Order: sequence, then structure tokens, then C-alpha cells
Amino acid sequence: MSEDSQKQDNPSGNSEFNDEDLVKSHVELSKTKHEPTKNFLLAPLVFVFVFGCLIFVCSIQLAHSTNSFQLHPPVDVVELTDEEKEALRLERKIISGEKIFTARCASCHQANGLGIAGQFPPLADSEWVSADPAVITNIILKGLKGEILVNGVKYGSSAAVNMAAVPISDREIANVSTYVRQAWGNVASEVSEDLVAEIRAANSAKQDQWIGDELKSMFADSFGK
Amino acid sequence: MNNLAKFISGIFITLGLAWLAFVVGARSQYGDLSPTASSLDEDGNIPVDSDLHPIALSGIAQQGAEEYAALGCVTCHTQQVRREDTGFDVERGWGNRPSVPRDYVLQKQVLLGNSRIGPDLANLGSRGHSDEWFHQHLFEPQTIIPSSLCPPSPFLYQQIENASSSDITISSEDGLDSRIIRPSIRAKRLVAYLSSLKQDYELPEVSFIEKEESDAEEEVVQTESEDMSSTTPKWLEDQISKGKEVYMKAATGGGMCFTCHQINGEGLAGQFPPLANSDWVLGDKSRLIKISMYGLMGEIEVNGVKYNNVMAPPGIPPGSLTDEQIANVLTYIRNEWGNSASAISPEEVASVRASLKGRAPMQMFTSAELSSPVQ
Amino acid sequence: MSSDSSEKIIDRSAKWVFSFFISSAGLWLLVAALFAYLAAAKLTDPFFLSSCELLTYGKIKVAQANAFVYGWGGNAIFAVSIWILARLAQAEVRGPIFLVFAGVIWNLAITFGILGILDGHMSGHEMLEMPTEVWPAMLISYLLITLLILVIHRSRIIKETIAPQWFILAALLWFPALFLIAWNGMEINPARGTLQTVLSMWYGQSLIWLWLTPVALGAAYYLIPAILGRTIDKYYLAIFGFWCIAALAPWSVVHHLEGGPVPMWIPAIGTVMSIAMVFPIAVASTNFHATAFLDIGKVWDSLPLRFVIFGTLSYTVSSYIGVVFSLPAVAKITQFTIINEFHFNQRVYGFFSMIIFGAVYFALPRITGREIPKIAKSFHFWTSTFGVLLLLMAYLIGGLTHGVLAGQPSLPWSSSVIQSVQPYFIITKFAFVILAFSQIDFVFNVWRVIFPNPLVWLLACKKEVEA
Repeated sequence: MSEDSQKQDNPSGNSEFNDEDLVKSHVELSKTKHEPTKNFLLAPLVFVFVFGCLIFVCSIQLAHSTNSFQLHPPVDVVELTDEEKEALRLERKIISGEKIFTARCASCHQANGLGIAGQFPPLADSEWVSADPAVITNIILKGLKGEILVNGVKYGSSAAVNMAAVPISDREIANVSTYVRQAWGNVASEVSEDLVAEIRAANSAKQDQWIGDELKSMFADSFGK
Repeated sequence: MNNLAKFISGIFITLGLAWLAFVVGARSQYGDLSPTASSLDEDGNIPVDSDLHPIALSGIAQQGAEEYAALGCVTCHTQQVRREDTGFDVERGWGNRPSVPRDYVLQKQVLLGNSRIGPDLANLGSRGHSDEWFHQHLFEPQTIIPSSLCPPSPFLYQQIENASSSDITISSEDGLDSRIIRPSIRAKRLVAYLSSLKQDYELPEVSFIEKEESDAEEEVVQTESEDMSSTTPKWLEDQISKGKEVYMKAATGGGMCFTCHQINGEGLAGQFPPLANSDWVLGDKSRLIKISMYGLMGEIEVNGVKYNNVMAPPGIPPGSLTDEQIANVLTYIRNEWGNSASAISPEEVASVRASLKGRAPMQMFTSAELSSPVQ
Repeated sequence: MSSDSSEKIIDRSAKWVFSFFISSAGLWLLVAALFAYLAAAKLTDPFFLSSCELLTYGKIKVAQANAFVYGWGGNAIFAVSIWILARLAQAEVRGPIFLVFAGVIWNLAITFGILGILDGHMSGHEMLEMPTEVWPAMLISYLLITLLILVIHRSRIIKETIAPQWFILAALLWFPALFLIAWNGMEINPARGTLQTVLSMWYGQSLIWLWLTPVALGAAYYLIPAILGRTIDKYYLAIFGFWCIAALAPWSVVHHLEGGPVPMWIPAIGTVMSIAMVFPIAVASTNFHATAFLDIGKVWDSLPLRFVIFGTLSYTVSSYIGVVFSLPAVAKITQFTIINEFHFNQRVYGFFSMIIFGAVYFALPRITGREIPKIAKSFHFWTSTFGVLLLLMAYLIGGLTHGVLAGQPSLPWSSSVIQSVQPYFIITKFAFVILAFSQIDFVFNVWRVIFPNPLVWLLACKKEVEA
């Protein structure tokens, strides 16, 4: 069946394909090679050019907007200098330490670190706090009993620090003692988590609470500075 | 194309590739994405004791989310703040930051929405609307925003004649007639859900976008014109927050009011009278100022209950509050715990002080003195 | 062999099935028209029917989309695919009883689904709002119908297949796959967080691109040569166009998520693939329009073909507009505006439905042996063309206004942005009234030839069942 015969209008008014011819002629079309026309060479060139441009544009778009296939949107990375990073780290540590202090220490030593006269010794401006970092760490780890002298005032014979009864991690101890050593005008050094771990390991066998004089003699150099 | 089996496998492979990427791939990328702290510590761990976000919806808010879906609110409202480079959402004040996948991990049904005939609701809960505002808006949005296209939902409310405390009164613009509505449990659920919609926290992957000054001003203009009830002028806010400090401060220079009248302003039954909803606080200003300067003794009646106690001149040390402090703390108590009355300025306090020039310091007022006409 | 008599036998075998599906499709069309009018009216007057909880705007809008796509679209797809595939396979329709039975279940499931939506048992996910209780019935009845259509196709005389068969078969098979994926991700194995939105967006948009679109394209590939009596011009491109749609469309649909709380690569890939969609669109429009414009006079004379060419033109225009609107710079303005409505209506109304109307007007007289008065068809054509154009212009211009004003943060939302869009809502309400008239006319035309005398028809039905 040639195309010409289909194009002619049937006098009876039925110029429609019947289905069999429709299928056959299209099947034929897909089998035969398309005959070259005068633009035969041009068309694929244009096509390749457009397709190439499109792939180019699309890949640029993809490279720009996929955010390297990450789950989260890009974060504005602020390049911090080493000092700034250090300051930020210390600030976080102190904030965390303050939270721990408020939750676990402030009921006796008070939020202002002044303690309660005659009952709980102050932490503000106390040499027990600002002495060697090991002193405060040891007290938090094992507790303290007996009388001690803080700023010339005698405290406690029964009441004892006994933090060891409640589990507390090295990091928490480092944070809270750093906070205590740097709050309320105290200016002592930071306590590192490693140091706490070291001290915890060194005294792991110790069962009793510390006694004030015992600690004082161990770290005599740092007291009274 | 002619072999059915090959054809079918062909069309399923093309579909399957997209499925692998968008469904399987994305799923494995989300993994166990879970709430986290606003910033991680130096090792990338969640700092001890930090608050985790997002938080799960409360039970009633979860039920509200189901009501929200059932009523089809999602047809007109989105719940997503787009990134700054792809939309105006942050500029419009619909959020402080773009929404991120983590914000939605705890939601049972995520209702992001795809159409905004109404405004975005991702941060509706942090726009400072009261429950009454929400109920009134649900009942008939046009009483709040006259041009709103949001359909009223009267079926969530019962219209009644006499109000009890939990009911809401809607007055018409001319104030002539008013309607009283009683929220159904479904309305309460919806309001609980709507007011829980907040993305007001930072996450490690996203932080707040700092606004330029001009934008912030524009936003104030917008909220003012759109909804008068929710904005408080800056000076008043300042006065209230300073007043609250005085009320709460229990050290030198403070007012230490809360120790007797309590933080919730309810006082203590039989001992200290309430400030919340009290005629003594909301009524005559000069009487209130006098008490704040000199204290009060003798029997008084507050909200139908008699109290007989002594109120020393407030402040630490007693009677030491300055005019400005008195103005601030009184403005605070007149606008807290549901109270709403005009502010008191330091000048008003000063003029009362001037009128009492001859009075000996620390001489407490008696109730009889106050009930007689002011000289 | 190729005589008209074999076609007559096929038409006779398809008669009951085609009549059943197309008359129920017509009913759904009316239901959707009613919902569309109600929704448009509620948008212009928020107090309209506001005290009726069953008819909140959110529910009606969703019910309309579901009635349109599953009710009208689903039934029309069954009718048209059965008839075209049977004709092309030159095989009779087998098991009409089973087809009608499955069709009844499908329609019952959609009915309960829509009632469920109105009753508030609705999820907030695009095109998945119907209560999950009806999902199994939908899937099973759909699979049964598809299976029987495959049986028809398998018994074809000529083993080689042509374009209409590819498009229609692919569409029939893609739907259950999409549906199962969505079911798994929503119910069986629920996705977490915004993955739900990715999935529902993918499903909802794919439904239009991989279900409605290919059926309409397939019908056009059949009707144009059949009516014009000439082969498709540049037919060798059709296979390229088909595989382009198959490969690109499922990737392109997620570009609507641009800027949202999903991984950025999802909308980015969607955008790129949307741009690549210009190829299949170009292929289809070249095929259709190059063929049609060779004999434009005849296109105009034949009413079915006028519908079809309107549909294919609409397809070309809307798809190119869709490509432009998916570009990030434009999407920034148009996202979340009523341009969404423009896309939906352009695709399901201006394109899909128009081609289906053409196919029905072509098939019905052959199947029933009764002619539809030309004046009634003309009325349908002009009202629906005018209504669709009015509707789409209103949504397009209104959507651009919506987007541009929304992008100015100093303008208050409802008193300025939405207020400026409101005139366009009034126009859409008017357009939906016109469309309702055209749809009533269509349904009337269809029912008149199917049931010229309802009593006789019932008796014939009884005989058929007994036989």
C-alpha cells in the first residue's frame, strides 16, 4: 500500500485507515531507513549541537546545586583562628560546667559560690579550689571528710563531699572543676579530661574519702601561693 | 519493543532507576537521623545535659496534627521555610532559618504542603499568639484579619449565652454585639498542635540567619498592619522586663515581691493577697503607687477574700525603691498573669511622692486611710 | 481480513465494557465538576457553606483532584485502552464480565475513598489522600483489568507493535508499580520525616506523567493517523520519544521540592531532568503537528480530531511552560503559588481530557452504531475550549501575580498578596461554571448513544448475562 493511495480521499467519504493498514504501515515505517532529504546532513548536526549544549548546561547546574549529594544544606563555614577555636572550646566547657554545678553542687555551695557560713565552705576565692587541679578532682572523685580550714574559717566535721556515690564522668568532672576554678573571680588553670582520667586511674583502689590534711600535704606546693 | 517481556522489563528498569535514587537512596541517606543539640562539642558528640531538638509533639498536639490533616489545612498552608537562595520565606519573617530534614524526623505524618494561599505555618507557634487568638481565628478568621480567605470552622465550637472562664468572647468591630464560643476538644487539639509548630532552635547543620535592620523594621510594620493584638511596643516590653527583675530580685536594690505574692502572682491563701486579677492592682493607680512606697497594714478585702497582714514598705532595704523601679514593677504586675492594664510612668510615681511630702518615711498606710478620698 | 467486518466484531465485543467504563467516567466527571465549582466558590467567599464540616475547602479541593484523576481518569483510561488495544491487536475483548466486575469494584473503592476524604479520613499526601482501607480494592481491581487487557494484547495478529501500543501498555503497567511503591513507603514500611513528602511528591506527579500522559499520547498516536488516513510524519522519532519519557519523566517530577527541607540533590536532579524533557516533548509535538498540519482542513472538519489536536497543542505548550517554571530562577517566584493549579488543570484537563473526549467521540458511534448530533459535539468543543483557556489564563496570570507579590516581604499576606489574586479566583469560578456545562453536555451525549432507551438496554443486559 503506497502513501499516495491513502492520501486520496475516498469518494464514499471513508478516508480513514483501517486498523490493520495502520499497524502495518507504521511497522513498515519503523523498519525502512529514512530517505535522505536535502537537510539530511544538517539536522543531526543541529541535534548534536543542541544536545551537547544541553548536557553542558545541565551538568553545570547539577554541579552547582546538588550540594555534593549531602543530606544537609551547606553550612556557612566560618574559618576560626586557633585562638578563637580555643576560646570557643573553653566557653562551651564553662557553660557545661555551670550547668553541672547548678544541678549537683549549688544546693550546698550556693550558686554564688559563697557556701553557707558555718556549714558549707565557700568556693569563691578559696585556696582549695585554686590549688593544684588534682585537689578538687580528688575531692569530687572520692569525697572529703573531717575538718578543713577555708579562708581561716573552720568547716565541717560530719558533712562531707561525697560525689563518688553518684556516677560522674571524667568529662563532667573536668567541666565542672574548670568552671569552679574560673567563676566568681577565681583565676586558676583549666582542668583537662585526661588529667581527671589519670587521677581516677591512679586512685582507683582508694576506698575512703580524703582527709583535708592528707590532700594538703600531697599538694603542699600549690597551697598558699 | 515487540517482545512483551523485554518491553515490560525495559519500562520497569527506567522506573526502577528513579525509585532507587529517590526512595531507596534517600532513605538510606536519612538513616537514623535523630534529634540533636544545637551545637556539637569539639569531638562531634552531643554535649552532656544539652537540650535536644526537635522535640516530639505532646499527645494532644499529635491529635491536633490528625485534625489538621483531616480538615485539609495542608491544601492551603505549607510548613516549610525555604533556603534563602530559593525563596523569600526568611525575609517575610516566616522563620529565623531554613527548615532542614531533621526538623521533621519525629513527626508521624509530615505535612509540608505545596501551596500557599495562606501563609506558611512552620513557625506559627513562635509568633506569640495566645490560645484565644487561635480559637478566634479558627472560629472565624475574618474577625481578626478581615480580608482572610481562610474558611471559618464554626463546627469546632459551641456558641453559648453565658461565658465561663474557658470560653472566648468575640466582639464585633463596633463593640455592639458579641458572641461567646466554647471550644470543643477538637478545637483544643488543633490549637495545641498549631501553637507547637516551632523551628526556633539551631541545629549543627543550620543556624539562624541574621537579619539586617531594615528587614526587621519592615517585619514590624507588617505584623502591625496584619494583626494588632500580638505586638507590644519596645518601651513597654522594656518596662515589663525591668519590672520583672525588680519583682524577682531578692538582693539589695530589688523588690523581693515574689516571696509573698509568689511567682505566679496568686499570693498565699489566707496570708498574702493575690496580684493576678486583683482590683487593687488593676484599679486606682495612685493607691497602688502609695502602697508600693509605704506599705500597707490592716484588714483589706481582695476578690471577696479578707486578708489581715502587714506589708512592710517594699524593697531591700525597705522603702528604697526608686520612682523608676516602682513604675516598672507596677507596670509588670499590671500586665502579667493575664492582667492587662495601662502602664505606669516614673513621672506618675514622682507626682504621688510629691503629694505625700509631709508623711514620715516608713509609715505604713492603713486600709482605712486608703479607702477615704485622696487628699 | 482487513475488512470492516472484523472491526465491527471487535467493536461489538467491546461494547459493554466500553459503555460501562465511559458512562461511569462521565459520572465522575460531573462529580469532579461539582466539587471544582464548590471549591472555587468557597475561595471567593469563605463563608459559603462554611458551617458544613463535610465540605471544607481543603477536603473539597482534594476530593475534586481524586475524583478527577482516579474516577474520571481511571475509567476513561480503561475504556480507551481496552478499545484501542483491541482494535490494534485485531482481537476481541475477552471476559467482559470480569472487566465490568473489576470496574465496579474500582468505582466502589473510589466512591468510598472520596466519602472517606469528606469524612475526614484523609492523609495530607498528594494523590494518596484516600483512606488506606480502599487501597487494596483499588489495586486488585486495577490488576485484574490490566491483566485482561494484556490478554487482549497478547492475542494480537501482527506481532510487531506500534507507538500507541507502547504508550498505553507502559502506562497501564506503571500505575500499579507506582502505587505499590507509594503503599510500601506510606503504610507498610513508613518513611521517616520529609522522605514521606519526597515519596508522595514523586508518586503524585508521576501519576500524571506516567499514567495519564502516556495514555493520552497513545490515543493521539492512534487517532491522528486513523482519522486522517495518513501515517505519522517522522514516525521514526516516536520510539526515541517514548524511551525519553520513560527514562526522564520519573526523575523530573521532584523539582517541585526546590528549596524545601529535603537533600538538595533531589530537586536539583529533578530540575535538570525537567530541562531534558524538551526532547520527548519536541518529538511528540513534531509527530502530531507535522502530521496534522499536512491536512489541517480535515482536522477542522473532524470533531474528534479537533479535540485531539487541541489536546496535543495544549500538551506542547504546557510542557514547555513547565520546563521554564522548573528553572530555579523562575521556580523561586512560582513555587507554592496557584501556578500549581495551572499545571494540574492544563495537564489533566487541557491535555488528557480533551484527547479522551476526542477518542470517545470517535469510538462511540462505531461501537454503538448511533451518531451523536454534530451540534451537541460542537457545543461541547467550544464550551470546553473556552472554559479551559479562561481557566488556565486566570491561573497563569493569577499565579504570577501571587508569586511576584509574595516575593515582596513588605506586603502583608492576606490583605495585599491574596487580595490581589482574588479577581482571578472569581474568573476561575466562572470558568468552572462554563466547564460544568460542557461536561454535562458530554455526559448527556455519551449516555444518549449508550442508553437511547434505558429499558431496552436493561433487557439486553439481562440477555447478555444469561447468554
